[in-house]
Amino acid sequence: MGEAGMLRKAMGFMVSNPLSGVVGVLALIVVVASLLSENFLNSYNLVIIARSLAFIGMITIAQSMLMILGELDLSLGAIGGFCGVIGGILMVKLGLNPWLAFALCLVIGALFGLLNGLLVTLLRLPSLVLTIGMAGVYGGLNLVITKGVAITGIPADIGFLGSGKWAGLPVPFWIMLLFLVVACFITLKTPFGRYMYAVGSNLSAARMLGIRADRVRLGVFAFAGFLAALAGMLMVARLGSAQPSIGDSWVLGPIAASVIGGVPTTGGIGTPLGAIFGAAIIGVIENVIVLLGISPYWQSMVSGAIVVIAISLDSISRRYFKRD
Amino acid sequence: MKIVKASLALALGILASAGVASSTLAAEGPGTEKHDSYRFVVVPKVVHPWFDKVNQGAQQAAAAIKAQTGSDVEIQYSAPQSANVAQQNEIIERAISTRPDGIIVDLLDPSGNRTVLEEAQEQGIPITLFDSINPEGMNLTTVGSDFCEQAEMAANRLIELLDGKGKVAIMMGVPTAPNHAERARCAQAVFDAHEGIEVVATGVDNDDINTAQQQASAIMQANPDLDGWVASDAAGPVGIGQAIKEADKVGKVQLVGLDDLSQMLVLIKEGVADSSSASRPTMQGYWSVINMWQLATGAITPNHIDTGNVMITPDNVDSFME
Repeated sequence: MGEAGMLRKAMGFMVSNPLSGVVGVLALIVVVASLLSENFLNSYNLVIIARSLAFIGMITIAQSMLMILGELDLSLGAIGGFCGVIGGILMVKLGLNPWLAFALCLVIGALFGLLNGLLVTLLRLPSLVLTIGMAGVYGGLNLVITKGVAITGIPADIGFLGSGKWAGLPVPFWIMLLFLVVACFITLKTPFGRYMYAVGSNLSAARMLGIRADRVRLGVFAFAGFLAALAGMLMVARLGSAQPSIGDSWVLGPIAASVIGGVPTTGGIGTPLGAIFGAAIIGVIENVIVLLGISPYWQSMVSGAIVVIAISLDSISRRYFKRD
Repeated sequence: MKIVKASLALALGILASAGVASSTLAAEGPGTEKHDSYRFVVVPKVVHPWFDKVNQGAQQAAAAIKAQTGSDVEIQYSAPQSANVAQQNEIIERAISTRPDGIIVDLLDPSGNRTVLEEAQEQGIPITLFDSINPEGMNLTTVGSDFCEQAEMAANRLIELLDGKGKVAIMMGVPTAPNHAERARCAQAVFDAHEGIEVVATGVDNDDINTAQQQASAIMQANPDLDGWVASDAAGPVGIGQAIKEADKVGKVQLVGLDDLSQMLVLIKEGVADSSSASRPTMQGYWSVINMWQLATGAITPNHIDTGNVMITPDNVDSFME
């Protein structure tokens, strides 16, 4: 194959691949960031970008799977924070083995997610409104139990999970990658995944086809709760204390990341992989505006504007190349 | 003979090098390293007017160092958008990756911030803390005032205003912020020690003026015989003052505020608040930078620099408004 043929093939791949827009935008932002800040590409900075992406990435994977179903869970951050506090109590106050406490908290997180799913499916409530309420419940319980004070003295045994590195990258980043692979496998390679897209595209039609839509929704809500608890517990391991404020900033970012990555709130299309690229775009922007020393009063405006530009570029490229 | 000469030369050489070494030591004592420029990063708890004053003080110190030594000092102010320890850690990590000459931090939670502070130390970047305490086992210079003393000053002033008898309320700031919690605890302890004083309500304003106003209005509705207020955060008394004005209770409900935000000073001028027990954020920023600069010159710095608290009253409020 000649050079022209290879170029045509590469162009064809870009035109047909729904992720090419978001990957292109990410590449552009990385190039601009590395030109603007000499510190952007240093190994320490890349590690902190990876670590930051790990935590928000886990919530983004969870939220993107829910969004494929056409659902949202705004209580994932609160579940993460509350499970972190429960983990702190189990380990510090009750003296439970830290690994057992860690595992228990993941189960509790999955149960909280399942509870959200049950309330959505049984009561036929819109997940957006219901999970706003549940975020208040989990966040409120967190404050009632802790009185707002962090639980310190988390056993050092689990510290490696939050602060350690493997092959030069933070352990939480590897864990996030593992669950990204699991999430992509579930959504793209299993019948369950196909049911998710069917439910997200048209719930009534999916039911008429015999898909047990509520079971699919419950499964995804429980998995999302599990991932939120995992992110919360890894943050506890990272900080060495169970902070009541863990998860406060995990609400809107993952939704924006998913939309940027091609998962609309209306459901039925997109992948967790695309959503992670969206999260990486937000993470890099947030990183570089601090490296550049932009005034904190301008930071929200600048990062918000760049996110809008990123979504617009992706949308324009989708329309132009008709990739959807 | 050759051996004698060689020994003599060696001895003279050793003596000469010892002399050179001693004169170098004299020139390289603590605080004698000089740099043409310094860059310090200031990381407060959150975007907030109180920390703008810290930044102001930091900029003043940078100008003072430039005037006195000719060295350029750049202050990079990098504030988290919300009071979240994980977010603050990310800001500190990003600051570390720019390799500054020092990082000045107000810790949201000493235990939660510890890991990144250790990372900064591993990277050889000095740290100065302001308005916060050292994480357990660390020995960084802290700059600031005594939170408990500040709250006790306010509580005692309110007791004096009420002649030792009355019903009072305490406005908490952010329940998870250790300094807010400590101020509330110390104010409560002062009130508990006075038999005639009864604490009838405690509000939580999350360091937000609107929330403080709503909470204060509701508490005054529920306790129409309330006599006075103290607060644990800077936003709290501003909201309380607005609620007192709205309820038309100026002069009937006493307010002893906290810190020196411009709105607080206006409330004192208007007579809505009696006074305010203030820490000195500008001074904290100033001395944090001076301490950081001294560390960069190789000086050994103290464990703590106390910037003190001051009571702002109608008599001295004008000097704070300048």
